[in-house]
Amino acid sequence: MVKITINDQEYDIEEGKTILEAAQAMGLEIPTLCYHKALSPYGACRLCTVEIELNGQTMYQASCQYIVEEGMNIQTESERVVNGRKKMIELLLARAPEAEDILDLAYKYGVKETRFTKEFEDVCILCGLCIRVCNERMGFKAIEFVNRGIERKVSLPFEDFHEVCRTCGSCSTYCPTDAKAVQLENLTKYTPRPILSEFDQGLANRPAVYTPFPQAVPKIPVIDRDNCIHFQTGDCKICQDVCEPDAIDYEQEDEIVEREVGAIIVTTGFDTFDPNRLPQYGYGKYPNVITSLEFERISSASGPTEGEFFFPGVEEIKSAAILHCIGSRDENTNRYCSRLCCMNALKAANLIRDKLPDSHVYEFYIDIRAAGKGYEEYYQKMLRSDIRIIRGKVAEITNIPDLPEDEGRLTVVAEDTLLGAILRVPVDLVILMVGIEPKKDARELAHILHLPCTEEGFYNEKHPKLAPTETVVEGIHVAGACQFPKDVPDSVAQGESAAAAVLSKIARGEYITEPTKAEIEDDHCSGCRNCIGLCPYLAISFDEEKEIAKIDSALCQGCGVCVASCPSGAIIHKGYTDKQIFAEIEGVLER
Amino acid sequence: MSDTKPFDINILRTKGEKSLYPDKPKIGISMASCGLAAGAEKILETIEEELKNLDLDWIITKTGCPGFCQKEPLLFYHAPGKEKIYFGELTEKKAKDLVKELSENTVDRDFATWKIMSDVTIEDKTLFISEETEIEDVPLYQDYAFFEKQYKIALRNCGFIDPQSIEEYIAKGGYAALQKALKMKPEKIIDSIKKSGLRGRGGGGFPTGLKWELCSKVDSDIKYIICNADEGDPGAYMDRSILEGDPHSIIEGMLIGAFGIGASEGYIYVRAEYPLAIELLDIAILQARENGFLGENILDSGFNFDIQLAHGAGAFVCGEETALIASIEGRPVEPRIRPPFPSESGLWEKPTNINNVETWANVPPIILKGHDWYSSLGTETSKGTKVFSLVGKINNTGLVEVPMGITLREIIYDVGGGIIDNKKFKAIQTGGPSGGCLPESYIDLPVDYESLKEAGSIMGSGGMIVLDEDTCMVDLAKFFIDFTRDESCGKCVSCRDGLDACHEILEKITDGKAVLEDLVYLEELGQSIVDFSMCGLGTTAPNPVLTTLRYFKDEYISHIENKECSAKVCKALITYEIIKDNCVGCQACARLCPENAIEGKKDKVHKINQELCIKCGVCFDTCRYDAILIRSGDK
Repeated sequence: MVKITINDQEYDIEEGKTILEAAQAMGLEIPTLCYHKALSPYGACRLCTVEIELNGQTMYQASCQYIVEEGMNIQTESERVVNGRKKMIELLLARAPEAEDILDLAYKYGVKETRFTKEFEDVCILCGLCIRVCNERMGFKAIEFVNRGIERKVSLPFEDFHEVCRTCGSCSTYCPTDAKAVQLENLTKYTPRPILSEFDQGLANRPAVYTPFPQAVPKIPVIDRDNCIHFQTGDCKICQDVCEPDAIDYEQEDEIVEREVGAIIVTTGFDTFDPNRLPQYGYGKYPNVITSLEFERISSASGPTEGEFFFPGVEEIKSAAILHCIGSRDENTNRYCSRLCCMNALKAANLIRDKLPDSHVYEFYIDIRAAGKGYEEYYQKMLRSDIRIIRGKVAEITNIPDLPEDEGRLTVVAEDTLLGAILRVPVDLVILMVGIEPKKDARELAHILHLPCTEEGFYNEKHPKLAPTETVVEGIHVAGACQFPKDVPDSVAQGESAAAAVLSKIARGEYITEPTKAEIEDDHCSGCRNCIGLCPYLAISFDEEKEIAKIDSALCQGCGVCVASCPSGAIIHKGYTDKQIFAEIEGVLER
Repeated sequence: MSDTKPFDINILRTKGEKSLYPDKPKIGISMASCGLAAGAEKILETIEEELKNLDLDWIITKTGCPGFCQKEPLLFYHAPGKEKIYFGELTEKKAKDLVKELSENTVDRDFATWKIMSDVTIEDKTLFISEETEIEDVPLYQDYAFFEKQYKIALRNCGFIDPQSIEEYIAKGGYAALQKALKMKPEKIIDSIKKSGLRGRGGGGFPTGLKWELCSKVDSDIKYIICNADEGDPGAYMDRSILEGDPHSIIEGMLIGAFGIGASEGYIYVRAEYPLAIELLDIAILQARENGFLGENILDSGFNFDIQLAHGAGAFVCGEETALIASIEGRPVEPRIRPPFPSESGLWEKPTNINNVETWANVPPIILKGHDWYSSLGTETSKGTKVFSLVGKINNTGLVEVPMGITLREIIYDVGGGIIDNKKFKAIQTGGPSGGCLPESYIDLPVDYESLKEAGSIMGSGGMIVLDEDTCMVDLAKFFIDFTRDESCGKCVSCRDGLDACHEILEKITDGKAVLEDLVYLEELGQSIVDFSMCGLGTTAPNPVLTTLRYFKDEYISHIENKECSAKVCKALITYEIIKDNCVGCQACARLCPENAIEGKKDKVHKINQELCIKCGVCFDTCRYDAILIRSGDK
């Protein structure tokens, strides 16, 4: 331990620490730009310079590099230090006048403008973070400083593209000023493959350490092993150094957790219809044809554009088309109605008109389904607005304009079935209201859980009216869009209902079941196991000890398949034994 | 080779003595870079040819530079038993005549510059002494104004010996210090250097003995010794002169240092811009190796040491020791923070001792003659002598080695012979581009580390530029800032951008576009660069600005307020005009004006078209009638 004084306060500091580390540990703020906890200190920005008095001598040193020594008297904000910092900020401002970090410092130190009038080609402040992260953490030297003095810049070996760069992008991530020098297109001839955010519909990039979506439970970041540099090469490990609570564990593995439960509620949700299946709408071909979910992310305040209407491939939106029933109510795709798209489409139109009041919005619908509380009123309100709601299915989207001034825009070709006229509407944005489909693996799960499905793959409830959340499998409930397309209110209602149904069973403490169950007469069972494979409810198992079949009466639904199939006649159906049937027949005949 | 070849230093010495003072007439031409630049190559050819023509069996030898650059090309003639006479400012014709006259003993006295009557080595051994004089009235070397106040230790052999001859070096007392040192305990050597008061001659002025001691105390399997020969100050060439004139003195110094510190490998980091020095060092190292001074078991002492050359690639900042180490290691040259100092962790993270050329050259005499002898020279805190390269508006430009504590006045007026054309002394710039400018009021300042620092300048590596009234101090500051901003490695914002910003303001001032507030900013910025930069380059680079602002603020103000450059240097602030009364209409100026800006018929008064004039000054230089006036401001 060494005793030092910082700003007239005495501290005991661990030997070998830098002044900056010491100050930060003590909660004192020293400005830095080129310092990063995970990288070796470099001392290029000079902002962390402090005044040190030691053995009667005063010196000025960059605190990020200078190691504490016994008896140091350090002033972090002395007059000369502050004066110097102001000058450094002025100089840096000339290089990167719009960099937020520098503007913040300028504000803090009262620097209003820079008197250094030199103009620079790039906003690079030569802090060297990019070079250090590449070299020290990524294990490469894809970039370095070249030239000296005012000509210094960050560049590639021999100022040309080189195979050394793996386009990991850590350099640009660490750049405090978004310098051109470390933009990937200037570093590699290859097209970098960004990691697209699944939640943002691929409209934004995400790092390899990320929280899957804002309301994730638990709200904890995860490491994407397929893209994490550490898992690819063993380098990096920056997150471990930066994480204050030391929570990063590279050893953690995925694990399968087994739990014994009495009830399951299946709420696996839905997939959206893939518009690539309808090539006439040009999704994937024209960047400005987007899906309703993509529109949702762009218009969201927490989305990739923070709610600003920046659409791919569009400079200005003069008009937009919203196409209903993409993958719904269509003989070629899905015949059912996805139920929620109509209202969603009207909302989208309203949002566009709200943000871009001068734009025209066209809705192309087959029928408007506005069955819900307040839905019809909303539709009527939209009808009265200047949104053009056109009845007619769109035939195709094309980028061949009718008029030369519409070059670069899209044309929506549709029939207005009310007017009986073919319409060709030039638009700048097309939103496809994609329908709801069962999850791709819905049938797989159905097989595991022995749940019956509809033709499309939605899970069937036991009874639409009497048991809308139950399934034919005792103890398994369904809720939400995995059962059939539902909007949020309906999904929530069904989910609550399913939860209540399960809870009521748990609260009762006992289990009431139909009395009609199959039962094995042990003496007659030959142990042939025919019945086991036939039972649709997984109710029959094999007793290895007794070498006979065994029926779990809680699971048995009394369907009778096993009874009919047993070659030994060893299974009886309670309430429907031969004796009882014959007795019933006799009773009837007696009358 | 050294293992197999038994050497005998005495044989080498005898050989050297014979080669230094042969029994035939000998001509020595100073063929260091300065001599070559002045045309020594041609002189050599001429003399060789003439000797052939006259069928004279004389010996010709190439020596280093004796220091008096003004007199180059320079040679000495020495006939057995006679004095050694130096002839300077030679031309091919003069050289040709000289050989003839020497052979006929009819030399014109005006030809000779000075003479040497005896040669005594540092071991006080007399190599030759002459009572006879061939040419009368030639001033004695020690009475010659330029040399009178000089005391040569580091430059002791420069210009006297053939740098390609280890024998001549040994004859002059070379490697005797090594022999002595190898018999001493290493601590004793360090102690002796400590007591001598020798301080780093590269600029820092750190006590050399202390530096050695620090390095010697670090426990390590391998230690390095580096000679910093990356001399980059514009107008300074002390180190080059030693490298080219006496390379063995550096090798010997390094050997002694290595033995004292316990190092086994050495590097001489020499800038590639010194090709001759590199060539001569290569030869010297080879000779030292062949004769058992380098390699294994040196002089049968069991001590192993060898030296390699490392070539610099032209960056000024490589003179900074940590940047130099980075350069040898092949990394981008950037200074790094100290501590750890190289003495703890230097080259390849091993303890490393770096000293400058002049420092190493001082080591053998100290060991040989004792620390008391050395510390008797100089001042309380600055011992010994210092080599300065005296340049600028001074009569005697050259390399001078003077005892510390000598006043600037003595250097300028006694050694330097005063200002050219008897103009008014204005300032002296010491310490190279990072040094400061001292005004006339400081002319009696004793030259030592502390006094110079106190006055706002530095000793630096020993550059001294004398400035007269025709020098604009703002322009001068701009020149140096331009140099340092070009040479900044670019790591620290303060140095890289700060110096560029300084240059920007200075340019504004010399362009007449500045306001008084700019001066406040300039001064503050300069101070901040000093405070906020990491290495020696940045922390001293603003010195020229800060000292000129301190001592010549009026000049800055008159540039800004009156748009006047009193030295009439800043082009934006001057106009060339024709004095009607003086102009005879000779048209000389008009013919030479590159822009055809001068109008005027023959025998009529000319006129300068100010719109076309580019202020090149050709008219001023051409006019024989003083008819061109340079106006700046109201003057």
